[in-house]
Amino acid sequence: MDRDNRDSDVNEAVDVWQLLDQIPAEPTNSDAMRLRFQAALHVERQRVRWRAARWALTAAAALVLLASGIVIGRTTTTPPMPDATLVELRQELRDMRQMVTLSLLQQQSATERLRGVTFTSQIDRPGSAIVSALLDTLMHDSNVNVRLASIDALKRFTDRADVRRAALDGLTQQTSPLVQIALIDLMVELNDRGALDTLQRLSRDAEVNEAVRQRAAWSLQRIG
Amino acid sequence: MSDEALMTAVRDGDLSQLGLLFERHHVALFDYLARMTGDRAAAEDLVQDVFIRVLKYRRSYREDGRFETWLYRIARNARADYFRTRRPAEPIVEELEHALQAPPVGANVLEHERDIDRLRRALLLLREDKRELIVLARYRGMSHDQIAELLAIETGAVKVRLHRAVKDLRDIFLQLSERPSWTVTTGIRT
Repeated sequence: MDRDNRDSDVNEAVDVWQLLDQIPAEPTNSDAMRLRFQAALHVERQRVRWRAARWALTAAAALVLLASGIVIGRTTTTPPMPDATLVELRQELRDMRQMVTLSLLQQQSATERLRGVTFTSQIDRPGSAIVSALLDTLMHDSNVNVRLASIDALKRFTDRADVRRAALDGLTQQTSPLVQIALIDLMVELNDRGALDTLQRLSRDAEVNEAVRQRAAWSLQRIG
Repeated sequence: MSDEALMTAVRDGDLSQLGLLFERHHVALFDYLARMTGDRAAAEDLVQDVFIRVLKYRRSYREDGRFETWLYRIARNARADYFRTRRPAEPIVEELEHALQAPPVGANVLEHERDIDRLRRALLLLREDKRELIVLARYRGMSHDQIAELLAIETGAVKVRLHRAVKDLRDIFLQLSERPSWTVTTGIRT
């Protein structure tokens, strides 16, 4: 390559570099991003608090159980437990967990109800009562964070028609933009084509929060 | 308070400090992701995803490196994961259409706007690794050393690859313009 060609290459590279600076940045929707970030941060903080409390409770319960075991073991001699009894005990434990969860979901304190929602994830094969209670929480709980957490908890049950139906109804019935956005995201995650009409209406409804409208419009491009 | 000090506080349990880091970095991060993907909606999703990953992996943060480098490393992974399951969107061409429909102005101004739009499309057509070098160096203002740390390559390699990337970008631009050589109009010289 001769010197003229080299100089020309360098000059053109400089020109490209300068012209790049004139490509404008895409407009930033900071409000919508901030809203979603704050919701995620809030849920994580609740989770951290709950995890700390649960750890303390578990440690205390383990200590009590250990002490009781030692005392009982020293004072009594029991025959080996039959399998049927073990199954029965497991069922009782599951029932007790469900009862505790349902009770937590009915508490006055939003923190307790949030604990109840989180607790559902620890129940192995939860019954319909738990799913109904979570649906009731999603539709009627007064606290936005509890409703948001219930959406996460209900993701385990999205193969059920009543859960999908309630999530779809929630899109128009919920008043909190945060909850509506979480439900829209759920529809996208499920790729629920049955939600397209509702999402279309939401994206065009001038009464609906702008961030929700934008999210609904975005979801229409994603579901397909 | 430095980014590194804030992130150390987040790692040690003070999650509220992440709000400040979000405020400082979300616009730049969105710009990087939007220029890399050519898709505003995907870029918004990814900003959210990146900060959720920062929360999730906060305990892995080490204060001996720059926070920004760590953040963009997470962003690169998030972008790769995002497009592993989705097809990238078509580049946005509405601005070009707008320019073509705009009322008549000085011919040079219109041609200059078209050049800018061609260059934007050329950037999106450029191979992804080359596009990333240009975006990081030109739009994020990262030094060669910082890019080298982020991409885990030598600083010398960054310089060579960046030079090649700009040359390739110029070639794609020329193909889009159907011009034999580089004669860019400027909106100023009408």
